[in-house]
Amino acid sequence: MSAPLEHACAAMLRRDLTLAWRRRGDMALPVLYAVIVVVLFPFALGPDLALLQRIAGGLVLVTVLLAMLLALDGMFASDIEDGSLEQLVLAPQPLALMLGMKILAHWITTALPLIVIAPLLAGMLHLPAAAMPALLLALLLATPLLSLLGAVLVALTAGTRRSGMLLALMLLPLCVPVVIFAAGAVAAAQEGLPWFAPVAWLAAALILAVVLAPLACAAALRIALDS
Amino acid sequence: MTAPAAAAPLLEARRLGFHRQDEPVFAPLDFRLHAGELALIEGDNGSGKTTLLRLLAGLLHASEGELRWRGAPWQRDTCAHEILFLGHQLGQKHELSPRENLGFAIGLHGCRDGITPQAALDEVGLGGYEDEPVRRLSAGQKKRAALARLLLQPAVLWLLDEPYANLDRHGIALINRLLERHVAGGGAALVSSHGVVGFHGGEPQRIRMHG
Repeated sequence: MSAPLEHACAAMLRRDLTLAWRRRGDMALPVLYAVIVVVLFPFALGPDLALLQRIAGGLVLVTVLLAMLLALDGMFASDIEDGSLEQLVLAPQPLALMLGMKILAHWITTALPLIVIAPLLAGMLHLPAAAMPALLLALLLATPLLSLLGAVLVALTAGTRRSGMLLALMLLPLCVPVVIFAAGAVAAAQEGLPWFAPVAWLAAALILAVVLAPLACAAALRIALDS
Repeated sequence: MTAPAAAAPLLEARRLGFHRQDEPVFAPLDFRLHAGELALIEGDNGSGKTTLLRLLAGLLHASEGELRWRGAPWQRDTCAHEILFLGHQLGQKHELSPRENLGFAIGLHGCRDGITPQAALDEVGLGGYEDEPVRRLSAGQKKRAALARLLLQPAVLWLLDEPYANLDRHGIALINRLLERHVAGGGAALVSSHGVVGFHGGEPQRIRMHG
């Protein structure tokens, strides 16, 4: 008799969140990176209010997505190293669901802090308050999408050495549509245009990714271990 | 103690083989393991003991031959909850304490009736270290923390890869005691070892590996 599914999901989530909290120094790195980038831009471009306002939305989005990439690499690394991934593969629960929980924990620990400070970053660049809801909604949809897409690629490159560079190259084309739709929503909101359509596209892509990405991760990691 | 002759063996391998890059890792194997039996996998370094155990756990796929579980073709999904695999990598998170690691294992695999994580940790000799991060434990203590899973997890077949490594005399006695109790309770175990194993519950079956 194995444990009920919801217990297993809760155990997985609790373990990864506890681990992230024990290594909270690592958790602060993406946030620090995002703050530094956004602080440096006005120094490089000059305090031109109109210019900063125009680039604020896109800059915050790209900064947050890049900051997320910093932590992406390590999503499964320690689990492969210490054998916990083997135990997860051998557990009676569906591997895809357990990996979905892992990705959720990863999103909570890396993306959520970034989303929390995003209004601050946008405020530093004088993003109009009217565009703020669009920015936050775009981030809430774009960051889990990136976590899911990234997880598939991390799983695919799990068995290879020096996978970091390969990962970045593979993730680039997948990032492009995410950035286009997210930045499109913020730009439309800034100009007072309806911004629902690009956000809806992001939501659709996210739903697709939530269903498919954990399955792809599970298949990729099984192959990585089967050698 | 042997199962009735009519009962299908728990695990049966027929001409089982595994190839890595078209090279066979070990010569085709035939063996049967009934409930209540212990089998030792013997062989030199590199003879494929770990590969065989990973294959039986379901981490690798057999390249040739057949594997049967309770008389039916082996399928990971049907017997995943009945098999416990303990490999070289112990699957312990170094930032968590033995108690937290066990809590996670219970979340995935469930817990035997009538035993608590605390009792299991006491039995493997980690009483007093329950809340110490695993990273601060010695290699032998890490091994013991992983062994506590044997007591808690409701599994019929244990696959233990070099369980005696890193353990002191008492640790070796502990494993033998756990194995004897498991086998006496109707469980089965496959244990790889290149050392001598002192097992008191009858003569175990021996599976000889040839590279």
